[in-house]
Amino acid sequence: MNINQQPLQKKIAQLRASFISQLPARMDTIKSQVSMLVDDGCNNLTMLSDLHRAFHSLNGTGKSFGLFELSVIAAQAEALMMQLLDTPDELQREQWVTKLDVLMQALSIQVQAYAHAENEHQFAVEEVLEPEHTSVVVLKDSVPLIYICDDEPEQVDYLAHQLHCFGYEIQHFTETAAFRQAVLARRPDAVIMDVFFPQSRTAGTDELSHIKDATGQHLPAIVLSGSNSFESRLSAVRAGCSAYFTKPARPMDLAAALDELIEDGHQEPYQILIVDDEPEVAEYHSLILQNAGMVVHQIHNPTLIFEALKNFSPDLMLVDMYMPVCSGSELAALVRQVPAYVGLPIVFLSNETDVDKQFSAMQAGVEGFITKPVIPHQLVASVKLRAERMRTLRGLMAKDSLTGLYNHTTTTEMLVSALANAVRQQESLAVVMIDLDKFKNINDTYGHMAGDKVIVALARMLKHRLRNSDVIGRYGGEEFALVLRNITADAAEALVNELREDFSKIVFDSGQEQFHCNFSAGISMYPGHDHAEDLRMAADEALYQAKNQGRNQVVMSRPDYE
Amino acid sequence: MQILVVDDDLFAGEMTTAVLEDQCYQVFQAENAIEGMEVLNQQPGIALIVSDLNMPLISGIEFYRELKEQGSTLPFILLTGDEPEKALAKEPGLDACVMKDFNMPERLPAAIHVVMSALPSRE
Repeated sequence: MNINQQPLQKKIAQLRASFISQLPARMDTIKSQVSMLVDDGCNNLTMLSDLHRAFHSLNGTGKSFGLFELSVIAAQAEALMMQLLDTPDELQREQWVTKLDVLMQALSIQVQAYAHAENEHQFAVEEVLEPEHTSVVVLKDSVPLIYICDDEPEQVDYLAHQLHCFGYEIQHFTETAAFRQAVLARRPDAVIMDVFFPQSRTAGTDELSHIKDATGQHLPAIVLSGSNSFESRLSAVRAGCSAYFTKPARPMDLAAALDELIEDGHQEPYQILIVDDEPEVAEYHSLILQNAGMVVHQIHNPTLIFEALKNFSPDLMLVDMYMPVCSGSELAALVRQVPAYVGLPIVFLSNETDVDKQFSAMQAGVEGFITKPVIPHQLVASVKLRAERMRTLRGLMAKDSLTGLYNHTTTTEMLVSALANAVRQQESLAVVMIDLDKFKNINDTYGHMAGDKVIVALARMLKHRLRNSDVIGRYGGEEFALVLRNITADAAEALVNELREDFSKIVFDSGQEQFHCNFSAGISMYPGHDHAEDLRMAADEALYQAKNQGRNQVVMSRPDYE
Repeated sequence: MQILVVDDDLFAGEMTTAVLEDQCYQVFQAENAIEGMEVLNQQPGIALIVSDLNMPLISGIEFYRELKEQGSTLPFILLTGDEPEKALAKEPGLDACVMKDFNMPERLPAAIHVVMSALPSRE
């Protein structure tokens, strides 16, 4: 009997990841077949049917793994091959060659996009593969990997330990040669590099420059140096380092600089919705934006707009001004009547150069105009600019300004939807309320600046240690709320306890004095409490109990009837 | 119960296998119809065949017809990337035809259940 140890979903996720990882190789094969076919004319029947099957399999398997964008393009290529096989005389050579070329380009872009997205989840896959080897509670899906290269172990040990508490994976090297090998073997998310090594006064920064030259890729790095000399600072700038710290540096400050570096690189691609009744035009604009690294979804029928908005949640909508069912202006007005989409940037594409008409569309709430025929880099620039602003605004509205965590309102909304999802998927859900112990004392004794640092440190730690699918909110002054999806009560309790212990190890520095801080937490579970408000109240009561029992502990709420 | 899965695409085959193993079926895999025949000869316990349609040399439907010609009575479920109706119209003898898409993990076990409970009892 075949006993199954892994849940199906995890297995499928693994298969999906390996399917994606071999896509580039598959594409290479297809590319060489395509070029042979093109060189050979259309007579090569074996090649044609091979290609037909290759596209068919991309289409089918892509669909099975939920890679819809890929399978849609592959399906078009498959149909084209079919047409060539069935009725080769009806198609002009030039026509099908161009068409195939466009499709191949679109496929390549899509494959790259998947590979990129998958890379970001690489650690998640590694965790999934060997869950039994991790001693800590497995709940992180992207722990940032940091390499520290410094020849003075005593100083670095303390730093490494503190950064580890914030949720980074730290590897330490005392020689630049070992560091280089490690970088080539596994690229870190960021590097902390010393400048001065025994072999040379700028060996550290020189090493970063060498790696950049050798790999052609810039390694995100900050410098930590004992020297404050001009020479040393200049070498850091030349090596492309983004920050320079002199020893001894505070772990908190380094963590802030590291986060800035890491987040820069992890910008999600912009999502653009194109509404155009002409599929070819939509496809053309879509290709331009995809080439600039954006994710594009097209609809050719304006009546599908709300479905598309709901499923795709774009950062920006690009709308053709003249469409049969309803005009672009009408569509914009329609969308603006829904409160959730009041802020969504809408850009019109039109042949309209008449200023009055443009103005009347502006009144319907349109952000900008691009006149056809579009100039590709102009389209990319104006879309990017507005999408970026939308992201920033959205962040400001939903997030707490000090910590970047979700604010009270957003956290509550997300709890409601997470609970609904858990009920639907028949999964469990944990709500955790966290409150810093004797926080008022910290503010009174060490000042508000120190208090803010404690709050930021806890926020930073939670962000690193929890999964992307978990919700982390700042609920009040020193109160935090977590919504953990698909987790058992035991795992949730173990995790929060581990967080509590690690947090209490962080050393804070008020300028004159060093101090520690700890927190208490209450947890409630679905099933057990079946409404969002019950969950929150039960977690609150458990938190209250934890405080009463002497603080610095975690209490799990038990429903009365148990 | 033992099931033979035939698919020339390694990932598709693995995916189908994962879905079936999750249902506690024991799965044997083959990459093409000829290999499938060999596995069937070696494993007399196999009670059902799940095959992809579009494969080089011998398609899923041709594989089915070949088996029938050899007198096989094993239920045969075809997987296809297109609408199942097309394949069923081409070969109405198929026990079931399931589309390979995102819903396959639910549809295939359901189809197997229907096919197996429709079989005359062999007791």
